[in-house]
Amino acid sequence: MSNQQSGIAGATRHVLPNGMVALIQRNPSTPTVSVRGELRVGAVGEPTEQSGLAVFTGAALIRGAGERSFQMIVEETEERGCSVSAGGGLHSSGFGGKALVEDLPLVLEILADMLIRPTFPAQEVERLRGQFLMGLRESEQETGTQASRAARALLYPPEHPYSRISSGTLATVQAITREDLARFHARYHPAGGAVAIVGDVEPAAVIAELEARLGSWAPAATPPDSTPPAAPPALEGISRKDIPMPGKVQSDVIWAVHGLRRADPDYYPVMLANMVLGQLGMGGRLGENVRERQGMAYYCYSGLEADIGAGPWSAVAGVSPENVERAIAAILHEVERFVADGPTEQELADARAFLTGSLVLGLETNDGIAGTLLGIERHGLGLDYIDRYPTIINAVSHAQIVAAARRYLSTERYVLAVAGPTAT
Amino acid sequence: MSAPTEAHTLPNGMLVLTREVHSAPVATSWIWYRVGSRNEPSGQTGISHWVEHMLFKGTPSIPKGDFDRLIARNGGTFNGFTWVDYTAYYETLPADRIELGLKIEADRMINTIFEPAEVDSERTVIISELDGYANYPETWLDEAVKASAFTAHPYHHPVIGYKSDLLAMTRDELYAYYQTFYMPNNAVLVLVGDFRTDALLKQVEALFAELPRGPALPQLRAVEPEPQGERRVTIRRPGPAEYLQIAYLAPDCRSPDFAPMAVLDAVLSGAKALSFMGGGTQTNRSARIYKALVESELAASAWSSFTPSRDPFLLELSATVREDKAAAVVEAALIGEITRIQQDGVDAHELAKVLKQVRAQVAYSGESVTNQAMQLGMWEVLDSYRRVDTLLDELSAVSAEDVRRVAQQYLTERRRVVGHFIPTGEEGEL
Repeated sequence: MSNQQSGIAGATRHVLPNGMVALIQRNPSTPTVSVRGELRVGAVGEPTEQSGLAVFTGAALIRGAGERSFQMIVEETEERGCSVSAGGGLHSSGFGGKALVEDLPLVLEILADMLIRPTFPAQEVERLRGQFLMGLRESEQETGTQASRAARALLYPPEHPYSRISSGTLATVQAITREDLARFHARYHPAGGAVAIVGDVEPAAVIAELEARLGSWAPAATPPDSTPPAAPPALEGISRKDIPMPGKVQSDVIWAVHGLRRADPDYYPVMLANMVLGQLGMGGRLGENVRERQGMAYYCYSGLEADIGAGPWSAVAGVSPENVERAIAAILHEVERFVADGPTEQELADARAFLTGSLVLGLETNDGIAGTLLGIERHGLGLDYIDRYPTIINAVSHAQIVAAARRYLSTERYVLAVAGPTAT
Repeated sequence: MSAPTEAHTLPNGMLVLTREVHSAPVATSWIWYRVGSRNEPSGQTGISHWVEHMLFKGTPSIPKGDFDRLIARNGGTFNGFTWVDYTAYYETLPADRIELGLKIEADRMINTIFEPAEVDSERTVIISELDGYANYPETWLDEAVKASAFTAHPYHHPVIGYKSDLLAMTRDELYAYYQTFYMPNNAVLVLVGDFRTDALLKQVEALFAELPRGPALPQLRAVEPEPQGERRVTIRRPGPAEYLQIAYLAPDCRSPDFAPMAVLDAVLSGAKALSFMGGGTQTNRSARIYKALVESELAASAWSSFTPSRDPFLLELSATVREDKAAAVVEAALIGEITRIQQDGVDAHELAKVLKQVRAQVAYSGESVTNQAMQLGMWEVLDSYRRVDTLLDELSAVSAEDVRRVAQQYLTERRRVVGHFIPTGEEGEL
């Protein structure tokens, strides 16, 4: 039997001369290879009036790079059953690929062109804009997207990057020019970035290949600023927004408060609290109440966005319009109960057992291993993190969870967003 | 690279498929039942899916709520799903805990309670699931296209069922349906992962061999008659865009024409990933439909789909019409791609590309024991698990002429349904 846990600890970590970190893990059990990487430039660095710029730029990289057109890139990769991709996120711009192992050199060659030498052909930019605008028009009519936009706008002041959805709006995406994309791309920098490669590869050979493809990339831009966004002003009281949407049948409800940074000392207690409140089994206590006990919703769960900055800690439910107030009452009831008493002994034991026991499931595929390596690097956790993880989780006490939950959860200061048909 | 699959039949008729994979300390347990929405009588649509929901609601020995906690406690994940041809459940666990999956499935195959209060509570959960889908305009179009494509065959109705049926369903109807279809001789257990087959089979026998075999199962007799002309359906509701969905009645997975149709679908929009759980690569952007519809800026997105089915199902073409374009032009362009293949066929390069894509998708899917078991189980309930290993050869044997022939034979005007979604204004016709 293999032991993937020590596999992560045994991954090769190599820093390229330009500051980019390469993480390579050999997985001889598959004929495939996965590449996943990120640069520390994202939507947090874009001006409010250009919301969507990071996402647009990331998606445009494949539309022409080096000597290749978009059609050449997709033709060459798809005829081998491999893929390359890139996309902008909130704090990073990600890139990746998947291939049979013999096609890794092609994937790395094209990815390097996409990162370093994108050409942003005018016609391709317009095609992409058309697709983005259609996607935005579709998501504008989704109850979940509308509720999420509203909740973010209530949680964060308008100048805060977390107040927006990183895909932008119809108006901002319409106004972004080809030159804007090129200017945003000029901020891409290898320093602080990382690339993880997992599959049946020889680490030394892959590092040599990366040195050749990416090692000499030394952009003029200053390395990205990784200061987390300022903490938003504390919530005062309850704010609520209702968005009526014609033609909808069901409402999406979002309850939210400010969460915390991944680097916060409260992270592990809060993560365990979230697990019990709205994750474990079929949506934790929230799912148990709203779905299992009251039969009100197909989904009800909570989510925690703890990344470089403090994202929302939220609970969501999809319910019929006449059940909106009942669902909100149920969510508040569970929050109040959790803040008062924290998890039961059994719930805490279950959450610990799940988090530690399921580690091996996340490390089964090349994608899973590469994603884990990238997360470890992003948050500076060290390659022994997986081996240390059970100790970390088992050391979190009931008292720490209750104390942390009380610092963040509240039934007096929160935001609510409801999007759907008007109640009948 | 794929390890051999072993088949074992228990005395009560239950088939057990096992495949040892030792690349990660993980194992998966799937159970498949040969029942889906195709087995549902009129007035009881959605009953297969509802029964699936009830299997998470408890048995005397594993009460409601304990089931998901038990799996979480053991570091596992689980789910269940219902499709037109089958219902399946799985637990993926650290390899040394795989017996838990077996215990759960053996127990709930026979002992699920169907507590009346739980039935009523689940009624509103399922209606909420249905309402959530109804928030998307594509759902309304898809339902109308399927309903138009099938007149005699129960592929006519949506898997989740009609709301009127869900409101009227009784506990006794659900329980009778469960007792009819949930029995060892209608089940396939699929185990893939890091275990020793001999030892695991002993556990399987201890848990499943004593379960009583049920009576012979009712067989579906309905046959969709040959369509006699194009059918068109238009949906008008609030929505962000016009959508097109074109469906052709297509051969089932046991037909000799299945492989040429699968190649045809891949020529149109790439060889798809072999799992709905992700893990494959995108292959459509260098294929015919993307070039003709998306690169040409007629559609914001466009694709074809063709899935293996027990009875003749559909090859479908779909597109999201760009705001400044006419749906009629987009429809003509989609159908034009079919006509082009009917007239000129496909070239050798496209066939080679499809094969390489399928090989790659098989390799990606093989990284996960969960995906491997899903393929084995799905093929066994549709035809035979051996198809997982022969599929590449079947596709390799397809000639360009075969592809052209099936396009000419099946993708004709009289065998097609054209569905069109037209967004209405703010007035919101409900």
